[in-house]
Amino acid sequence: MSGSARYLLSRAGQAALVLWAAFTAGYVLLQLLPGDAILIKFQNPELGLSPEQIAEIRSYYGTDGPGAYLHTLLGFLRGDFGYSIDTGTPVAERLAEGLPATAKLAGAAFALAVLIAVAVAFASCHTRLKWIRGALQAVPSLFVSVPAFWLGIVLIQVFSFRLRLVPVIGGSEVQQLLLPVLTLAVPISAPIAQILARSLDQVRAQPFVPVVAAKGASSGWILWRHVARNALPPTLTVAGLTFGELIAGSVVTETVFGRNGVGRLTEQAVNAQDTPVLLAVVVLAATVFVLVNLVVDLLYPVLDPRLRRVAA
Amino acid sequence: MSSSAPRPVLASLAVAAAACLLSACGGGGTAPAAGAAAAGKPVYGGTLTYLEHQAPTCLYLPAAGFYPNGGVLNQLTDKLTWQNPETLKIEPWIATSWEVNKDATLYTFHLRDGVTFSDGTPLDADAVAANFDVYGKGDPKLKLPVAEFVNNYERSEVVDRNTVRFHFDKPSPGFLQGTSVIGAGLVSKKTISLPYEEQCQLKNVVGSGPFTVANQVVDKEIDLAARKDYDWAPKSSEHQGRAYLDKIKIIVTPEDNVRVGALTSGQADYVRYVQAYDEQTVKDAGFTIYAEPTRGVNNGLYLRPANSILKDVKVRRALQKGTNAKEVVDTLFTPSYPVATSVLSHLAQGYVDLSKELAHDPEAAAKLLDEAGWAKGADGVREKDGAKLQLGVFVSGPQPLSKQTLELVGQQWAKLGVKLEIRPADAGTQAVDIKNAEKTAIAHSMVGRADQDVIKSHFHTKNRDVILSNDDKLDRLLEEESALPDEAARNAKVAEIQRYVVDQAYAIPLFEEPQVYGVAPNVHGVAFEAVARPSFYSVWKS
Amino acid sequence: MRPGVILSWALIVLVALWALVPGVFTGYDPISGVPAEKLRAPGPGHLFGTDAVGRDLFARVVHGAVHSLSGAFVAVAVGLVLGTLLGLVAGSVRGALDEIVMRVVDVLLSVPGLLLALTVIILLGPGTVNVAVAVGVGSVAAFARLARSEVVRVRRTDYVEAAFGSGGRFAAVLWRHVLPNSLVPVVALAALQFGVAILAISTLGFLGYGAEPPTPEWGLLISEGRNYLATAWWLTTLPGTVVVAVVLAASRISRSIGREDG
Repeated sequence: MSGSARYLLSRAGQAALVLWAAFTAGYVLLQLLPGDAILIKFQNPELGLSPEQIAEIRSYYGTDGPGAYLHTLLGFLRGDFGYSIDTGTPVAERLAEGLPATAKLAGAAFALAVLIAVAVAFASCHTRLKWIRGALQAVPSLFVSVPAFWLGIVLIQVFSFRLRLVPVIGGSEVQQLLLPVLTLAVPISAPIAQILARSLDQVRAQPFVPVVAAKGASSGWILWRHVARNALPPTLTVAGLTFGELIAGSVVTETVFGRNGVGRLTEQAVNAQDTPVLLAVVVLAATVFVLVNLVVDLLYPVLDPRLRRVAA
Repeated sequence: MSSSAPRPVLASLAVAAAACLLSACGGGGTAPAAGAAAAGKPVYGGTLTYLEHQAPTCLYLPAAGFYPNGGVLNQLTDKLTWQNPETLKIEPWIATSWEVNKDATLYTFHLRDGVTFSDGTPLDADAVAANFDVYGKGDPKLKLPVAEFVNNYERSEVVDRNTVRFHFDKPSPGFLQGTSVIGAGLVSKKTISLPYEEQCQLKNVVGSGPFTVANQVVDKEIDLAARKDYDWAPKSSEHQGRAYLDKIKIIVTPEDNVRVGALTSGQADYVRYVQAYDEQTVKDAGFTIYAEPTRGVNNGLYLRPANSILKDVKVRRALQKGTNAKEVVDTLFTPSYPVATSVLSHLAQGYVDLSKELAHDPEAAAKLLDEAGWAKGADGVREKDGAKLQLGVFVSGPQPLSKQTLELVGQQWAKLGVKLEIRPADAGTQAVDIKNAEKTAIAHSMVGRADQDVIKSHFHTKNRDVILSNDDKLDRLLEEESALPDEAARNAKVAEIQRYVVDQAYAIPLFEEPQVYGVAPNVHGVAFEAVARPSFYSVWKS
Repeated sequence: MRPGVILSWALIVLVALWALVPGVFTGYDPISGVPAEKLRAPGPGHLFGTDAVGRDLFARVVHGAVHSLSGAFVAVAVGLVLGTLLGLVAGSVRGALDEIVMRVVDVLLSVPGLLLALTVIILLGPGTVNVAVAVGVGSVAAFARLARSEVVRVRRTDYVEAAFGSGGRFAAVLWRHVLPNSLVPVVALAALQFGVAILAISTLGFLGYGAEPPTPEWGLLISEGRNYLATAWWLTTLPGTVVVAVVLAASRISRSIGREDG
């Protein structure tokens, strides 16, 4: 087996292990919850169910009894996440309903975040005026200091209700995405901008840059050809790490904007202690994170010539 | 005896068992039922955007009392009879007439011909019988519980295609009114034979109402479309035939400021649950506020005698006297929320004015606590035998501004040397602790239901039992009340119970809780059923 | 020091003083207000205005400092202690234990902090301390990774090799040489996490898992005030500004620590 194939296999194995551990940890944690969803949902006095009937419902959801762990694990491997206790529908169905919306939101937000980050980082690198540079360097810190839910509410209030530019109820799909995407992108852009700016500074300080410049290359060309290429790998790493935060961020964003998606589903599941849904979300988040980072790891040698040489 | 205008005794019992199942219920009355008149000739067509505060939960009909559920189901289903929200009289709907025997054990309904469910099946005697067999007896196999609004049900009998008869093993005088409540909505035979979990899901609910479900995004949006062939509105309805609107978009919008902002900026037409502090904003923008009062047990704090501190009636009385309900209303609410003058709303049946007994008197409260042996400690909180005078309460999700209300009462009690421990409403711990009088000494709640029985629902150990009662006398009084056939005697009993509850200081009534809606000026024909759920049938947009 | 850093320290000191001696800064009671004076706009009498129950908002912000700061401190402490310990052990021992610890860290890292925190809160129940612990658990992984990489780096330096070579006991070397030399970046991260924790706690407050009312915790102030944005803008804006300023200051200080020694 070649070295790179073995590397690939071992990384994939590690990823699978992490996922299994995340599932198990989630399962154990969620079993420890004080109340339980069935109690929350069915103890409602207007339904007048007896304890025996509740036990019967419990068995319908298959949440009790030994072997439940294995049963659930095998179900997950088959793509069967059990039933949502809150709504009585299959969890897979609820996830499938929520995923496209969240994927759109998260994807657009991530793209916008990278755009903002690149703009801020390059602008602050290029500017000669010291005070503008200082202000631009402070932008990421400011972005990361604003509570996302607060930002969202202020955006709605200003852009939708005061200026009436973007409707939050109704409107086209693009209109509906605008404000949530902005809300989610702002905090995500901060760490990317920071690492990019730092890498740019570091690379510029390296001896080969003045040499190339002395040979008459334009500064824009240098920036692209050398600086950006060298700054890309660490930025990619941070971007990969940030990706997981998109799901957490969508919890807040979707709640504020009343959008349907995995984030809102999570919030409701936590509220109703809908363990099957929560477990599926935890595993989903872990899967996305692990996959993205696996891809980043595998891309690393491709992007970084020095590493490529080492690998070869 | 045929009666589409029921006998006096029935008329009075008609309002019985208006099974408003969840706590936050309103009563009908203030809404102009025919608001259309002022704005010219109604027009057909258009889409109404209705913003709902919470997502609907289980849509099994008898569980429709929860407002988000009722708001949807009221458009999808029809009932046998219609309770006029202004007169509270029972009028014909799917049943064109009915007979009741003398001791109210036999009801015969004559059905309208040609009514169909939206799946095309007929709404005939067979279907009605199937519905009430489930509502009256439940179905253990399908896990369908008995509905609160049907009592002493024995069996149904299909006389012919359009005639159905119900037999009761004991008198059931509240049944006629029971056929008009939101939970008694009629669904197709296929729907009613599904197990509980499936009847909970909107897609399985097939009714005969003026609207049908066109599209649903769970927990986010429900689109309703008008049924073009709908032609069986209640006989007394001004509007007949299909609904004016083409479509209704019901969008779940939990953020209060988004709902109100969307309404006033023209993005929505109709919103439920306008908070008190937003009422002025909505009115100033030229929009209409509909505040539907309740006829039930008032919004208040309910003290649990099983708690080791509250078992002393002196402490309970001290808390009652030390609470200033008027200050709560003046500070947090608006005139839509009248200050409570008894355990029951002033529009409830059998109401007595106990405002004198409930007067705010902090000095008397302090004296009572002194007498009970609670002395002020170093930190201002009273102590007795090393224990602090500290009481737990959960913030109540369905109650408007529950947290602020509790904080304000906490301020008032702090002056007495009592610490109110306010816990955020987290469904998990709440489900476990709410039934524990030690951990949850006080409950913040209310129940709406247009019947004397509402007080029994609230306090009886076999019903909601908000105070986790250990008082046999209270249970006995409540049972006596619900068994009295005579209206006047029943009202007198309800009065006696109110006096008893206030004297024992099981309750600190705060205000009469309404349902508050905000409606755009171009929306006409706004109407509500008897307990304040919106009906969109006669609504039109100009 | 640069003026920005000085300003940041000044702000942190001021807020710390709010937490320690709130009575010096305001005479109003943060818990009991005057209902008749509800929803007053900011002005000379009430610097930040009053809330729906007539409480002075500035008093609530000042008295809230102790809750928010101690919450953030607990969160950072949980992450710092647990994470550094894990990282230190993993980086020093290496081998199978390192592998296991780092896989655990991977798992922690793979679940978004907010999800983790929500799960922990439901487990422990709501309340200031529990929320803080929940947020802290979310930062364990970051600390562990950083501490481990620092330890690995320091270990390779000549003087640590020398200390081992001259027969130093493992624990002693760890304590006397490795730990102090790995500490600076970890402290910088702690300062940054301090700001992050304040934000995370306020987010959980928004989702309904915050401190018990009427505790004037900052996150709770912002999230409660949001419904009054149209009618009383100051209720959410002013506490929000305070939080943003404190988080900014913490991250500025974090960067300055990192730069001095890194």
